[in-house]
Amino acid sequence: MKKIINIQFVLLLLTMAFIQSCKKDYGDLNNPTAEDFLKNASKDQLNNLVSGTESGMRNNLGLYLDETGVIGREIYRFSGSDPRYVTDLLGVNDATLSNNSFYINNPWAARYRVVKNCNLLIQAAANSTLITESAKKGYTGFAKTIKAYQLLLNLNLTYANGIRMEVDDPNNLGPIVGNDEALTEIANLLDEAKSDFGGADVLYPLAGFGTFDNAAGLVQFNRALAARVAVYRQQWSTALTALNESFFNLTGDFYAGVNNVFGTGSGDQLNPVYLPRNYSGEWRLAHPSYSEDIEANDDRIGKAVLRASSVTDPNSGLTGDRDVWVFTSGTAPIPIIRNEELILIYAEANIQTNNFTDAVSALNKIRNGHGLPDYGGAETHDALITEMLNQRRYSLFAEGHRWIDMRRYNLLDELPLDRPDLNVWEEFPLPSTEQ
Amino acid sequence: MKKLLFFIAGLICILLMPGLLFAQTKTISGKVTDANKNPLVSASVIIKQTSQGTATDAEGKFRLTVPVNATIVISSTGFKSRTIKAGEITGDLNITLDEDIARLDEVVVTGLATSVKRRNLANAVATISGKELNGVAPAQTFDAALSGKIPGAYINANSGAPGGGISVKLRGVTSVYGNTQPLYVVDGVFMDNTATSAGLNAVTSASPGTNTSSQDNPSSRIADLRAEDIENIEILKGASAAAIYGSKAAAGVIIITTKKGKPGRTNVSFSQDLGFVKVRKLLGVRQFTAERAASLSGDSATSAALSQQFLDAQAAGKIYDYEKEIYGETGFTRNTVLSLTGGSEKTSFYFSAAKKSEDGIIKNTGYRNSSIRLNVDHRINDNIKIGVSTNYINSSADRGLTGNDNAGVTYGIALSFTPGFAELHPDANGNYPRNPFAASNPIETRDKMTNNEGVNRFVTGINLDAILFKSANSSTKFLGRGGFDFYNLQTNALFPSSLQFQAVNKGTSIQGFTKNLNTNYILSLVNNFSPSEKLTFTTSAGITQESGDFNNLLNIATQVISGQSNVNQAGALTASQFRTKFQDDGIFVQEEASIADAINLTAGVRFDKSTKNGDPDKYYTYPKAGISWNLTHMGFWKEGGLFDNFKLRAAYGQSGNFPAYGSKFTSLGVSNIAGFPGSLINLQEGEPGIKPERQTEFETGLDFAVLKGKVSMQITYYNKQVYDFLLLNTLPPSSGFTSQWVNAGNLRNSGIEMGLNAQPVTGKNIRWNTSVNFWLNRSKVTKMTIPPVTLGSFGPVVGTFFIQEGKSATQIVGLGGADGGLAVWGDQEPKFQMNNYNEITFYNKLSLRFLLHWKNGGENVNITTLQNDIGGTSVDFDDDKNNNRIPDAYDRLMQIGSSAQQFVQNAGYLRLREVGLYYSFSMPQTSLIKGLHLGVSLNNYVTFTKYKSYDPEVSNFGTGFSTGLDVTPFPASKRADFHISVNF
Repeated sequence: MKKIINIQFVLLLLTMAFIQSCKKDYGDLNNPTAEDFLKNASKDQLNNLVSGTESGMRNNLGLYLDETGVIGREIYRFSGSDPRYVTDLLGVNDATLSNNSFYINNPWAARYRVVKNCNLLIQAAANSTLITESAKKGYTGFAKTIKAYQLLLNLNLTYANGIRMEVDDPNNLGPIVGNDEALTEIANLLDEAKSDFGGADVLYPLAGFGTFDNAAGLVQFNRALAARVAVYRQQWSTALTALNESFFNLTGDFYAGVNNVFGTGSGDQLNPVYLPRNYSGEWRLAHPSYSEDIEANDDRIGKAVLRASSVTDPNSGLTGDRDVWVFTSGTAPIPIIRNEELILIYAEANIQTNNFTDAVSALNKIRNGHGLPDYGGAETHDALITEMLNQRRYSLFAEGHRWIDMRRYNLLDELPLDRPDLNVWEEFPLPSTEQ
Repeated sequence: MKKLLFFIAGLICILLMPGLLFAQTKTISGKVTDANKNPLVSASVIIKQTSQGTATDAEGKFRLTVPVNATIVISSTGFKSRTIKAGEITGDLNITLDEDIARLDEVVVTGLATSVKRRNLANAVATISGKELNGVAPAQTFDAALSGKIPGAYINANSGAPGGGISVKLRGVTSVYGNTQPLYVVDGVFMDNTATSAGLNAVTSASPGTNTSSQDNPSSRIADLRAEDIENIEILKGASAAAIYGSKAAAGVIIITTKKGKPGRTNVSFSQDLGFVKVRKLLGVRQFTAERAASLSGDSATSAALSQQFLDAQAAGKIYDYEKEIYGETGFTRNTVLSLTGGSEKTSFYFSAAKKSEDGIIKNTGYRNSSIRLNVDHRINDNIKIGVSTNYINSSADRGLTGNDNAGVTYGIALSFTPGFAELHPDANGNYPRNPFAASNPIETRDKMTNNEGVNRFVTGINLDAILFKSANSSTKFLGRGGFDFYNLQTNALFPSSLQFQAVNKGTSIQGFTKNLNTNYILSLVNNFSPSEKLTFTTSAGITQESGDFNNLLNIATQVISGQSNVNQAGALTASQFRTKFQDDGIFVQEEASIADAINLTAGVRFDKSTKNGDPDKYYTYPKAGISWNLTHMGFWKEGGLFDNFKLRAAYGQSGNFPAYGSKFTSLGVSNIAGFPGSLINLQEGEPGIKPERQTEFETGLDFAVLKGKVSMQITYYNKQVYDFLLLNTLPPSSGFTSQWVNAGNLRNSGIEMGLNAQPVTGKNIRWNTSVNFWLNRSKVTKMTIPPVTLGSFGPVVGTFFIQEGKSATQIVGLGGADGGLAVWGDQEPKFQMNNYNEITFYNKLSLRFLLHWKNGGENVNITTLQNDIGGTSVDFDDDKNNNRIPDAYDRLMQIGSSAQQFVQNAGYLRLREVGLYYSFSMPQTSLIKGLHLGVSLNNYVTFTKYKSYDPEVSNFGTGFSTGLDVTPFPASKRADFHISVNF
């Protein structure tokens, strides 16, 4: 009987010892973790962050384009499954913009997610002992440029409600800053990035940058964005300086520039705003005013092609008969910034600095490029601003500009209201989670 | 440690006691029968306080040599046991056992290795017999068969899709984001119940931006189990009963015992069910007129065209009821079971082979299940028993395409936009017309698509029971139990390029492969020690280990070559893989003491660690204790007086719930571009210090039986506190993260369960057994360290769950409160539930059984009707009940954005869940056929509800916290079956 007790004891002790001895931690089986990158990242790991950043810029980009297009009265976004594209965004049935809905939460979070990735990239590059100083500058310059662009897109949505600039430490976020201050900081960030690119090695592959995938090209891209920010800040000479350092080319291809690109590869994305012509269930239709207001012979009518039959949205009663036809395939790129915009920025800055001749010649480049004769209107500040805005409307149609342009010229009340009970919103509220 | 000392002390006592000498023995023999003189096979005949004994044979006879001064206990499942002193026996015994209506003598598992009779139990443990589970009106799957049968449970079907998918919540919601579903243990094997998404989200975009979603409507894997194989189910509803299962037990434990062989003649049984399923209810469709057709568009030209289209269709007699066409099929059902039981004194077996084949209420949907089970028990010698149970299952479910959808592709969403005058039928050449009203042609989708879940599953459990030592008043046993549950799940979703909504993707093939292996073992020592007739100690201690390895590979191919499904026959392919792996280790000690068979004390503790916790090496402690006090056994009341049995009981226990898998990591997902691999930080921030949720439960109650046990009642009150429950804290998204897991608060569930068992009629010719259960639960969030959280719905516009301190955990809030704020419009929690099970037997031959289930109150968020209003097709679109000369649908639509009240609807019901009528023919024992049973049954046939969608039982988000969200689900069905069963 003594034996039995011994057996029991031995069994228990053995098993206890067995349990104690096997220390198990499986780690994350599915993903790399932030800690992995911060330890001592290799070039390949940093390049993964660069590509992830470039890829992440496309998340919810379709929604951004849809909502800026809808509020800017460029497009109708009818959806078989979500009435809020018409109710909330247009103000149907007295609906207002919510601070807790997908149209602000999703794009806002997607942009800040990319900002976080950029911050992780900056930190990971700084911590790495496996790359040179000039390589670090290459990563930092890229990260800051993209960060500035992403912050600008969010600021475009929330405008006077501001954005948060200091977001490095998730547990200790900086304050929300207003539009002017945010634009200043975004401009500063772009300037910092530009100086980082001086003497930088670009060791990473880029997807949507075409020939701008080296340090010099990235500076040109950075300056193009700086020119856009400058006109938003009404700093016209700064804009012109930035244009000179960018890929601006008055006689160049309108579509030269940097794009969000799409593909069918594994883990890649398709163009989120592409729909085949005459598609039903989900609709992106040109606002009727687009074809009503367009000048004769303007080839940009091709961006809004007639459907086989018109579509009426049951929630709002609104009708459209032209499909938006800007992105004509599932892999069509969506421009981040392109030469046509730069030409129009050039025109705008020259109008604002009373250099009408250069402005008119730039506008004529646009007009002639789309099958229109030279500008024949008055060469006054106001008339030229109107013409410039009109060219921007057609040249940058459905690319997310109209609403912002009309807002910065205080012209939102000139956007066409389909019914008197609708509203043109000035800005989105901050997501409730930011307040 | 104290327990261990006690255990050792007990063993030392045993050592010092001289073995009792059996001076005299005698041999007794006899026959055991029920009240109707039918022999009871396998009744156990045991010398009290030992494990020595025998079992009756096929004729109910036994023979046993016992000491003259011994006490003999004769028992059989479902009957009251009887005690007889050996000294008083003369000649052959003829013992009649009475039916145990109150189930006082039922043996209930109380530990990982021990069990106790219900009359001494400190907890309210619900049990379901095989007959109650499957013997009235069999449901399609095992999980559906539980509906309405567990007092204290809120059981809800996610949809009517074939192949199961049921949420079981025991005593309220025990977690918000963590696991809310009980642990299923089948013959000692921890069965996996993961719901694995088939990746339909890639087509439906119900949750945009991901491949899989909780809205993909997968089945739950426990549905694979065959109800016919089940002997008995015990339900440990909370921590006070289930603490010994430690950190897996917070949502309760469902212990399933399958059928075992019996010594004696081999019994061959063959049964066949034939029947059909039909949709339980259709909503109806809008009756169009030319005017109404015109009103679908605000554009005058389009209106005119629509009006003309309607008139043309009307003239051609081509106005259709597409809802009926899609959901109105009658599915043929078949189920065949062949079983063999038998064995010798040493070895017994149960074998079953079964095949089920059912079509659904939608064309091209259905469920198949084939299963083979072999359970073998073998006695190596008097001291060592070994049991092996094996089960192979092959199941296949075709589930159609239903539920929420942001792409207009599911049947329901497409139907909601499609008026009856649209032409969706294929032309003579088989070409389906495009549906101009929606993104898809649901008739075409139904005819061409595939959404199949196929499972191959192998479950094996092993039991080893060895008596290491025994004396007259003590015995020590080693119990080893363990097993594995392995399955391969293949999901196959196929959308050919010719489908209307495949214009962009040009054919999608989603192939998912899942492999899951769960293993577990329990090694324990159990000592029984009876220092005197009036005192028994049971000490158990042991170790457990559970591990799991889940690996899911999902391939989504688009641009699929026509007619092909292989993912390489495609222009584009994305793949995703998800793995989880865990190992949990536990140590437990339990002590039970029985004093004079009247006072039972239990105390136990379990220590658990898990790789799922923030710190994988930290042990968490889960204690439990219970007491039951049987007053009738104390001699306060004489047995046979007013009270046949009267027991007071109280129990306390703790258990845990693991943090969500991966919650401790801040991870980066893959996000590629132009062939460059990219890493993009995930929106969820990791919490390295994440802890398990902890639950403490106290329950108390009284059980009594009167009128010689003909009426018995149980009343239980419980109070369950969940501490450190996990919430996804919403972070300001400017941090780069939108959420983070935190141990954010406490919540409480308290409730009452009452049960009544009675035998109102006990004639020789008519017997009526009935049971009534009543239960209710109330929850309250008692503490939250983060702001209120909305979850599980589409936001306050339609009504959403809202976790808020001081409020019910399952409240539903929405727009429409004062000053434009939120108002509470409902609560998922029913006010109360009741069930009533009856079995009426006439002349021992004809048996009528039925189960009524009443769920009083409890709200759903119904946006199915909203969807039909938006699509202009709801049946009551043009009604004008408020006489404001505006169609009601417009009135309803106008409220969107101002109040969510209309969407939060009472989902209470009274349902005749099951009714069955069975007749047994008596056969002479000499004939080849020993028994013939015929029956007819109806399942879900009668429901009284005011709920406005297809069925009050629905859950768009599957089996998580948030059941009851209704978005164009697969409609619920009703079943009718004819049964024939033959015994050889």
